[in-house]
Amino acid sequence: MTLELVWPALLGLLLAGYFVLAGLDYGVQMLAPWLGRDDRERRTLLNAFGPFFLGNEVWLVAAAGVLFGAFPFLEGRLLSGMYFLFAAILAGIVAGNAAVQLRSRHRGASARRFWDGPIFLGGLVPTVGWGLVTGRLLAGVPLDARNVFSLGVADLLHPFVLLCGATTTAVFLAHGAAFLAWRTGGGPGARAARTGGRALLVAAVGAAAVLVAGFLSSARHTVVNPWPALLTGVALVVVLLVGAALLRAGRTGRAFAATSCAAALPVVALGTGMHPFVLVSSGAPGTGLRLAEAMADAGTLRLLTGFAAVMVPLVLLAQVWNWWLFRDRAGRTPTYL
Amino acid sequence: MTDETLARLQFATTAGFHWLFVMLTLGLAPLIAVTHTRHALNGSPLMERMTRFWGQIYVVNYVLGIVTGLVMEFQFGLAWSGLSEYAGNVFGAPLALETIVAFFAESTFLGMWIFGWGKLPKAVHVTLIWLVTLTAYASAYWILVANGFLQHPVGHEVRDGVARLADFGAMLTNPNAINALVHAATAALMTGGVFMAGMSSYHFLKRTAEREFFRASLRLGLFVATPAAFVALYYGFVQIPTLVETQPMKAASLRGHVDDIGSLRVEDVQAQLVQRFGAGDYRPPAWIATAFDVMQDVGYLILLLIVVALVLLYRDWYLRFRPAAYLMLVAVPLPFVAALGGWLLREVGRQPWAVYGELTTAAARSPVGSMLTSLVLFGSVFLALAITDWALIIRYARRGPADTDLGGSPPDGHAERPPASLAL
Repeated sequence: MTLELVWPALLGLLLAGYFVLAGLDYGVQMLAPWLGRDDRERRTLLNAFGPFFLGNEVWLVAAAGVLFGAFPFLEGRLLSGMYFLFAAILAGIVAGNAAVQLRSRHRGASARRFWDGPIFLGGLVPTVGWGLVTGRLLAGVPLDARNVFSLGVADLLHPFVLLCGATTTAVFLAHGAAFLAWRTGGGPGARAARTGGRALLVAAVGAAAVLVAGFLSSARHTVVNPWPALLTGVALVVVLLVGAALLRAGRTGRAFAATSCAAALPVVALGTGMHPFVLVSSGAPGTGLRLAEAMADAGTLRLLTGFAAVMVPLVLLAQVWNWWLFRDRAGRTPTYL
Repeated sequence: MTDETLARLQFATTAGFHWLFVMLTLGLAPLIAVTHTRHALNGSPLMERMTRFWGQIYVVNYVLGIVTGLVMEFQFGLAWSGLSEYAGNVFGAPLALETIVAFFAESTFLGMWIFGWGKLPKAVHVTLIWLVTLTAYASAYWILVANGFLQHPVGHEVRDGVARLADFGAMLTNPNAINALVHAATAALMTGGVFMAGMSSYHFLKRTAEREFFRASLRLGLFVATPAAFVALYYGFVQIPTLVETQPMKAASLRGHVDDIGSLRVEDVQAQLVQRFGAGDYRPPAWIATAFDVMQDVGYLILLLIVVALVLLYRDWYLRFRPAAYLMLVAVPLPFVAALGGWLLREVGRQPWAVYGELTTAAARSPVGSMLTSLVLFGSVFLALAITDWALIIRYARRGPADTDLGGSPPDGHAERPPASLAL
């Protein structure tokens, strides 16, 4: 029984960590080419996440590993069912990650400007993609009798799903901007704060629109537990508005804490809104793939628990240590990106 | 091309690119950890410069290793969901452990190492590169445990058509994993050593000013590559008896190319397998024998070259005998060629099985239509990034230790060419 609690919690933690940490990466990636007026400024913006970038991105790897090891009967269905969506997300991450790390390996200004393209797309494509994935999971997927599905383009053109994609983009933009406002000073930092304030308002409106669309569209039938999902959505709107007020007041660190909560809340919405299911059917609401059916055997889980109990705290400690070591604002940390 | 061929090509493209970069990652990491430790112990400026120069190349190479590795983690679920349906209880465990125990930690530590120059106490900084090295090899181990299960499934029982974990210890000690790990890890060390020796030779040929620097690098590269090459060779042959026992068809396909496969013949094994599993073609493509030859012959050639180079280190003959330097420079790509041969033999030679004797590749495929679009997408992105990455590695290697970004700030972009190009 406890295993059925521990592993969903760990997957949720890793996914939330991924959205908070890589979410700021993607936000910064979308903003840096526009907020930085010259090469020096753009590099200042990118180096704001410099020491954390590799560590941020691999939360996805850990989440994927846990998905495969502990939820093997969800992993194949989910990834193959949303095949082209995940392929696009991955291609975006590949191009963006490589671009961030290789940009300053070039000496020439034109080569560096070229990399700004993949840096931007590498932020935008995964951001929109994760928003669509979240929206489609909440609104249900077209499961067949064996709980297998395959998404078509039309499944993504649902208004609720599209609004989730747009709202996620605004949230990650605001999250990246709040991070930049907190970590960098001078002109770029001030511009980031202004952009972040606007993005937060747009995100709050977007989140409210998601709630309305969820209530008005077919999505309201598929959410198994509407109340927790609704509460999480309201909390999201509140957190975004609080973040906007904090950013306006110049409390950049707290504003970043607020946007971090906003980045993590969709995971809470998914977990609480869908329990005890991990996939819900869009055609036959109230049915789907149950958590218990998605998980590996108890024997496998017990074994994995032993390793995870030791390793997960250690790796989390290493990540905290990293943030503590490089807690100085950018400019006092070596410039590498 | 069938949908299955496209799906296999996509997996092979991802894994192939990943492996080309990971080999150098595994090969260089311990060498850099050694130079960094020597710098930390006696404050040697030469060792610090070596750490930064080779570390820079390592880090640029790592970029492609991590992005292709990320896609690898998802390939199973995307294109081979039948594998998790059948063997998720068993096969998922080592992959999950690889991500938590190794990949996650490795990248976190590497980010800290890159940005830690001039910031962290020396002891902490050196510890980080050793942790990066350790987790990189831990990663290789868990991946080969997972791959070893596909080659020779052990430690599980099948109930209701689904594999369940029965004996994890048997999985962890699967000879198809352990012997392959030693073989691949030492081949990677050889790759790193040959790379170091080859790039150093370039500077001897160009008579650059960094003679002492590259003399030390050459020696380190050869001292590591030579023993590593012997062990890699030995653990190549060690795998043959296991192959005869666990994958008789692959062994039979090598008839005439290796000696100790006994009386195995492809036709006989095919007849046995038909009897056991029903009608079907259980023969892998015949060209895997050629892949074996390429691996073996190129391997012997590398061994010959590095042993000759090692002898020439005596009284620095190497530095005066230019043909040796030319040969070592040409040798840099050879370990990669040999490794691709070995990889093709291991993975194509397993066909038509995804899990040997239990699940065919065809049955493992996801119910997704043609993967042509995603194959072209991933293939072109990987190819463009790989070419760029190799070009950057070559540029750093040519420019020498004076022009390294790691540990200092890279210059703001203006001058594309180094001043040297102004000379006639």
